Amino acid sequence: MSRIPVIRVEDVLIASVLEDVTDSDAVALQSELGHQLEVRGAKGVLIDLSVVGIVDSFLGRVLAEVAAMSRLLGAPTVIAGIQPAVAVTLVELGVRLAGVRTALTSDAGMRMLREGRAGGRHVGRR
Amino acid sequence: MSAVAEVIPLAREEDIVTARQRAREISRELGFGAVDQSRIATAVSELARNVLRYAHGAPGDVRIRALNEPSPERVGVEVVVHDEGPGIPDVHAALRDGYTSSGGLGLGLPGARRLMDELTIDTATGRGTTVTIRKWRR
Amino acid sequence: MKDPVEQTRAQMVDNMEDQRKTISELQTPVIQVWEGILALPIVGTVDSARAQQMTEALLDRITATGASVVLLDITAVPTVDTAFAKHLIETIAAARLLGTDVMVVGLTTHTALTLVHLGVDLEGVVTRTTMAKGLELAFDRLGFEVVRRTPLVDVAHP
Repeated sequence: MSRIPVIRVEDVLIASVLEDVTDSDAVALQSELGHQLEVRGAKGVLIDLSVVGIVDSFLGRVLAEVAAMSRLLGAPTVIAGIQPAVAVTLVELGVRLAGVRTALTSDAGMRMLREGRAGGRHVGRR
Repeated sequence: MSAVAEVIPLAREEDIVTARQRAREISRELGFGAVDQSRIATAVSELARNVLRYAHGAPGDVRIRALNEPSPERVGVEVVVHDEGPGIPDVHAALRDGYTSSGGLGLGLPGARRLMDELTIDTATGRGTTVTIRKWRR
Repeated sequence: MKDPVEQTRAQMVDNMEDQRKTISELQTPVIQVWEGILALPIVGTVDSARAQQMTEALLDRITATGASVVLLDITAVPTVDTAFAKHLIETIAAARLLGTDVMVVGLTTHTALTLVHLGVDLEGVVTRTTMAKGLELAFDRLGFEVVRRTPLVDVAHP
């Protein structure tokens, strides 16, 4: 069981990533989300990174995979709360979170998923 | 003139987290901004993971120390990541983006090099690997 | 009980970070043109250090104001070359990771052709020739409509 808790709110799977997750925690999160989507499905996946100060290429890759996997399983993913320092570092590292919707806060992320604005390219208003 | 190095052994995957957290904390104490702290910590994370993934269980460690140079006057941080593993056979290939020897992700070396000011590798088959990275405070 | 020397040092480190942010903000004029909309006019040549500084200042303002749209104005950039394009793309990519829509305004035929010749692909970035056009689109994105209250009076034919 991942140390990263996954809760279901309004049919959205929410994972609040802790400050210091190991590679195994990240992979376990991926499995947990996959399992939940397979067994019960969900309207969307929200991953909250607001307390994560270090995101390296491994975690970045896992997050991109979670988003791709979830989309295939019918649930768009929003990654919320990426810190400025993390954003700059990820870009310099060359980690591509292509096609993954992002939001400044978890609230904004939930709004996006609730209003069905998280799938595909940006359409319409925020 | 430089301070004593802080040593973090690399034996389990939790040590990757410890190493990068300490790197961030020490960078912070040295006065690096938030983004540089993130760069340094992330570079350390990449290199520490390499040790755990590719050193075939051989012992390794991370040594972090402050750098103080008088002329030109500058402050920086140096991290030396060492392992007693099999060594990297083709360093030039390893420094190229996308290189991987075990079918997994790239070795993280090109990423670490982009994030830091200096990166040097000392490696040879059967002699282990030592990667030294440095960043100077702007 | 925290050691007083350690506390002072921690405070100093915090102050340094605050100072760094202030200096960065002073050097990079990020303007909040409306609730949720930030504009950053890029003036003069941008080297690597300045690009990093600009990006950090921009991202800090985005988190501070909760902005959802950023208008990067390149009208006053003298040379659009590969280096500048790289900095621009990286700034845009970082801002997007924060969930912000980034638009680039101030393109001329010259800069547009330069970017094409350089093979730069502003992948999916919305661009407009003027700040006004960019603002119009930004307002639309946020659900606003700009309406003139009273019709213009034609002085020649009242």
